[in-house]
Parts: sequence; structure tokens; C-alpha cells
Amino acid sequence: MERKAFLKNSIAALGMGFIAPLTPACKKSDITDDNTGGGSGDCIVAPTETAGPFPTKNPSAFVRSDIRDGRTGYLMTATITIGQVSNSCAPLAGAIVDIWHCDAEGNYSEYGSTQMQSANYTDVHFLRGRQVTDANGQVKFTTIFPGWYSGRATHIHVHIFNAAGNSLKITQIAFPEGSGSAVSAVGGYNKGLNGYTYNANDNIFSDDRNGVQIATVTGNTTDGFDLKIQLNVS
Amino acid sequence: MVSNSVILCYRKIIDDRSGGWEKLLHSDTHEELKLQFQFFSTGNTYHLFSELVHADNRAEKLHFLVSAAAKGYIAQLNGKLPDIKNNLGKSFLTFSNYRFEIIESDTRNVNRHIIAINFFSNPLTWHATVGDYLLLSDNQADENRVLLHQLLLQPFLSIYSMQKL
Repeated sequence: MERKAFLKNSIAALGMGFIAPLTPACKKSDITDDNTGGGSGDCIVAPTETAGPFPTKNPSAFVRSDIRDGRTGYLMTATITIGQVSNSCAPLAGAIVDIWHCDAEGNYSEYGSTQMQSANYTDVHFLRGRQVTDANGQVKFTTIFPGWYSGRATHIHVHIFNAAGNSLKITQIAFPEGSGSAVSAVGGYNKGLNGYTYNANDNIFSDDRNGVQIATVTGNTTDGFDLKIQLNVS
Repeated sequence: MVSNSVILCYRKIIDDRSGGWEKLLHSDTHEELKLQFQFFSTGNTYHLFSELVHADNRAEKLHFLVSAAAKGYIAQLNGKLPDIKNNLGKSFLTFSNYRFEIIESDTRNVNRHIIAINFFSNPLTWHATVGDYLLLSDNQADENRVLLHQLLLQPFLSIYSMQKL
């Protein structure tokens, strides 16, 4: 076997090791010793250094409850319940819920379309995450209270999929305003609230006459905030 | 001799012929593409990434959105840039920055999913070029004797940026 092919096969076996028992081909004794003078067949030279690291199967890195990735701000726990209108708004279990929002300064984690723009791998997806609803139709995220940017009220983006991955709804969560509200307690972080767009003037939320997009937010800047909302899908 | 600080870019292409962890990343990012594609197109209007971007330029965001599925794999590399070795056959490049890229994809067919990970090396000092080899060193404190790596210029590896030292 070609050295390259052998390496590839070994890597494949190592990679699958976490989801399937190691195959006999991956036993340590199968690694041929060096100095065999270039023999044929499976008699190949072992690598001179540990080849790797070779990542193992990790489909769930984006599935996480703590989405902060080091971003600082007032702690906030967001509990989102997904209900199904066709089932009298009963909780929908097994739904995939993605959320994302901006940091205290009003910036999102994302890079644009500039071809060679890069990002640091440790925090490139800050304040973004995915959870799957439990039997109560609930997901919980640990995050920070979002900042704001020009033209928009404070908000959290949500994309809801069914268990099969079909998109059910793309929506946004709004925050209560006024005296005693979390928006006023946080005060827009370092930016203040000068020039802030309130829900009534927000392009997305201004048509929400019944407030179905407005979450219940309790807590304070010392202990953190609790956000709760039910979002119904058809 | 004038030395320059350089950042190298290695564009690692991953397609349906890839094995090992690349195969896992290939299938996971295709699953993610199917989810995120619906952010820009639902129903059966579009299936190809290139078609969707042509119809709606905002779909360029998919490079970033789909990269969420690559996140765990990239993190497991622990900052060691894969595949590229010096002339002694040893890995020596490290990275902190990367960019995930969808070259082409089809929501109906994982075999048409082609992606690339652009790894941007941490800065190195480029002292000279000997034949096809770059003479590089990690940033070292001792300026009297510099330990060198010889790196062959090869396809999918390029000098991304340079700064005079």
C-alpha cells in the first residue's frame, strides 16, 4: 500500500474511533517499524512524528447553552418555549432553535463577503448557538444582555427548525421598555441610550400591536437578567 | 539581509473524495448548509449554492453561517496548521485565524459539496529563498543564530501578507 493511502486509512480509522469501536487495522502492533529498507505491500515506514492532531467527530460544537465566548456584559439567561399552533400551542419537543444577537457594543460575530477576510477560531461565533427543545418545548441559553446599534431596538434573532431540519420560522425577540425595564437598567452599556430606536419606531417590531414578540425580562444588573418568551410556529 | 514578517495562507480543499476527519467535516457542513440555505431560500427554487448567491448576494453570508459546523473541528486542531510540513517532514506552522469557504454545494447531493478552509499562519520571519524553498523562522529572541525551517512553495500555499522588519 502506498504510504499516503495507509496514512489516509489510518486517519479514517482514528477519526471514526469515537463513534465505533476501533477496527483491528488500527492496533498499535500494526504500525510497521522503521528501517525495513523500503519493502513492498503493507510494509511501510512509520511516520517520524505523531501525525495530527486529527479531530474526532464533533457535529455538536454549535449546540451549546453558553454562547458568550468571552464576550462581557450583564449575564442573561434566555428561556424560549416553542409552541405549535396546530396543536393548541402545546410545547413542540425536538425543534432546533438557533439564536444570535449583538454584543454590548452592538457588533455581531460574522465576516462579510470579502474573500480573504479571516477570523480567530476561538471566538468567531460569539453570541450564537443552537439548542434542541426538550419535552417542555424549551431551550435555555446563557448569554449577555444584548447591546444596540443605530436603527434597531434591542433584539435577539431566532431561527426555528423542526427535527427534520425544515425551517419553521425566522423571527426576532423584542424587549420591554420604560421605567424599571431591563433596557433602561442596562442603559445601552457604554453607548448610553442617546439615539436609541424604541420598539414603536423599529421597522421589525412596530407592527407587533399585541406584543407577541416582546419577552418577559426580570432581574437586575447585579444578579443578571432572565428572559422568557413563548414563540409559536404553525 | 532584509527580513520580512510573512503570514502564509493554506487553502485546504475538502470534497467527497476526502477521508478522515475531513470527511466528517464534509458531511457535517453539508447538513448545516441544508439548514442555513433556508434562511435565504425555502421550497424548491434553488439547490445550488452558486445559483442562490447569483439570485441573492446576501447568501454570501452562508460561508460564515455554515462554518458553525466546522467550529468544533477547527478548535480540535489546537492552533496547529495541518498538512503543511517543512523539508524535514515536520509540521511547524501555527494558526489562530481561518476562513471557511463554500466553493460549491447542492442541497440535494452531498457529493457535490466542495468546501475549503483557509488557514492563516501566525507570523513568521522570511529570511531568504533557496531554490523553491522559503527560509523561515519563528520569531526568536536570539538574533545571533536563527533556527530555520525550509518550506517548499506548493499549490494551495501562498504568502498572504508581508511586513518589513
